[in-house]
Amino acid sequence: MSVRVKGTDTAIRIRWIPRYTALERYLHWGHTLTFILLTMTGMVLFFPFLAPLARGEAGQFMRLVHRVSAVLFAAVPVSYAVLQPRRLLLTLKELRFGRDDIGWLKGAIPYYLLGRHVDMPPQGRWNTGEKMNAVILVSGTIIFVLTGALMWFGKGVLPVWVFQAAVIVHDLTMFATVSMFIIHFYLAVAHPLMWQSLVSMRYGVISESYAREHHAKWYYGEEQAKKLYEQAKAKAAAHGKAE
Amino acid sequence: MGKVAMLYDSSKCTACRGCQVACKQWNDLPGTLTKNRGSYENPPDLSPYTWTRIRFIEKYEGGQMRWLFLAQGCMHCTDAACVKVCPTGALKHHPMGLVTLEQDLCNGCGYCTQFCPFHIPRLLTDALTGKGKSFKCTFCMDRVTNGEKPACVKTCPPGAFSFGERNEMIAKGRARVLYLQKNGYPNANLYGDVLLGSLGRMYVLLDKPEGYGLPVSPVSPALTHVWQDWVQPIVSVSFGVTALAAVTAFFIARRHIRMEEVE
Ligand code: HEM
Ligand code: SF4
Ligand code: SF4
Repeated sequence: MSVRVKGTDTAIRIRWIPRYTALERYLHWGHTLTFILLTMTGMVLFFPFLAPLARGEAGQFMRLVHRVSAVLFAAVPVSYAVLQPRRLLLTLKELRFGRDDIGWLKGAIPYYLLGRHVDMPPQGRWNTGEKMNAVILVSGTIIFVLTGALMWFGKGVLPVWVFQAAVIVHDLTMFATVSMFIIHFYLAVAHPLMWQSLVSMRYGVISESYAREHHAKWYYGEEQAKKLYEQAKAKAAAHGKAE
Repeated sequence: MGKVAMLYDSSKCTACRGCQVACKQWNDLPGTLTKNRGSYENPPDLSPYTWTRIRFIEKYEGGQMRWLFLAQGCMHCTDAACVKVCPTGALKHHPMGLVTLEQDLCNGCGYCTQFCPFHIPRLLTDALTGKGKSFKCTFCMDRVTNGEKPACVKTCPPGAFSFGERNEMIAKGRARVLYLQKNGYPNANLYGDVLLGSLGRMYVLLDKPEGYGLPVSPVSPALTHVWQDWVQPIVSVSFGVTALAAVTAFFIARRHIRMEEVE
């Protein structure tokens, strides 16, 4: 595909490489939509200032929407596991954390906030931040389903302390996941360095140059990425000394 | 009028269940078909349709059975866990010391049924959709705020129920307990004068509270406070902080990162 550079006649050819399957993208947006619905209808019960929306018929409707969305929300990972079990396993395997992640975390603020070109250790298909987001959402989803089921079906069946604990864990999970969601939303929608992530979640592809720069371990493979990174670092050090 | 209370004297109750009937009549609650379980106690439990009932506790002493009677219903706690957890404000404190329940506002979430230390509110609900309403004794708010006694109190033939200013009821209960202790009931005690900030329903008991199946020291569950006093405020503030941080980051990043340099 070629893209015309704004205000010029120059056309650039961009090579796009696949990052997500179509199913992965549908499920991502399905999860996003149901998550937003669940957050909105759950908050109504949670925040005292939203009490007017929780009352009577309106409140019953909110709770019904919460329950319907909850089923769809839980169906997302299940369909992934059923339809593309190998992809799911490979994806989960990518969630390993290592030395490069510590380096990434150290460099993240100057890089993403201040735009300084600090050396960032090479990343896989997902960078450290994306992996953290995934870990919190995957574990959050599991906890939501478990505690939500207890609150849904446990009343009068289980000892009251189980219900009491489930509400609190459900709320704390909401806290963790919604906080992550706010950051995720900002990075994906409003951050200048991340726009290609949004593209890849929309079209499933990412440009070659972006992959090379931001996801080197995925693009070059682990070994090669590491070698290139060491070389670049040595060069920069030498350059620094010469100055 | 300040805070009121009803005082139920177990030693005067004859278990005629007039209060049960009067409650159903005044509050327009249907009767329900029940089965003989080998006890006079009937219905077997509180329900959305039964807001008060007489418990028949069978106590055996030296081969002799003796009944302990108790008028079960909402205790109208000053520190009411149900009011604290209700997300709609359907459950409210009335300045007269009643804990009222407005059905119109209730959305049937059932939190009150899970947090009340006396297991009083009952839910009429569809387990699947969650559509429902909670029910419990409202202290006949409509009567009491208009200068009438609650229906159960008014109807009681032996006068086991009294109703009035809370301090007066406490004094009356204490005097009665002293009298009973001197006259063959050494375990007699007043239940509710100091519990949970004092209860709107107090009992003169002939035996220890355990004997009546009452919690000796009811407290609103610790998790009520963790939830309402810690989790809710902290989460509210933290969300604000996170959102603010994201907005700030947006402006900082926009100043420092030029799109032209981004590929
Ligand atoms: C499969 C997933 C989920 C299930 C089964 C579920 C189920 C429930 C149930 C049964 C309730 C109690 C209210 C009622 O009975 O209708 C509830 C409350 C709530 N849910 Fe969920 N939920 C799920 C996911 C979520 C998600 C993703 C969020 C937000 C990010 C969320 C936030 C809340 C909140 C804030 C409350 C109110 C708790 C309170 O009153 O403090 N839930 N949920
Ligand atoms: S007895 Fe239960 S329902 Fe009644 S006021 Fe106390 S906490 Fe609420
Ligand atoms: S069931 Fe009704 S009264 Fe009970 S906590 Fe929920 S909204 Fe309040």
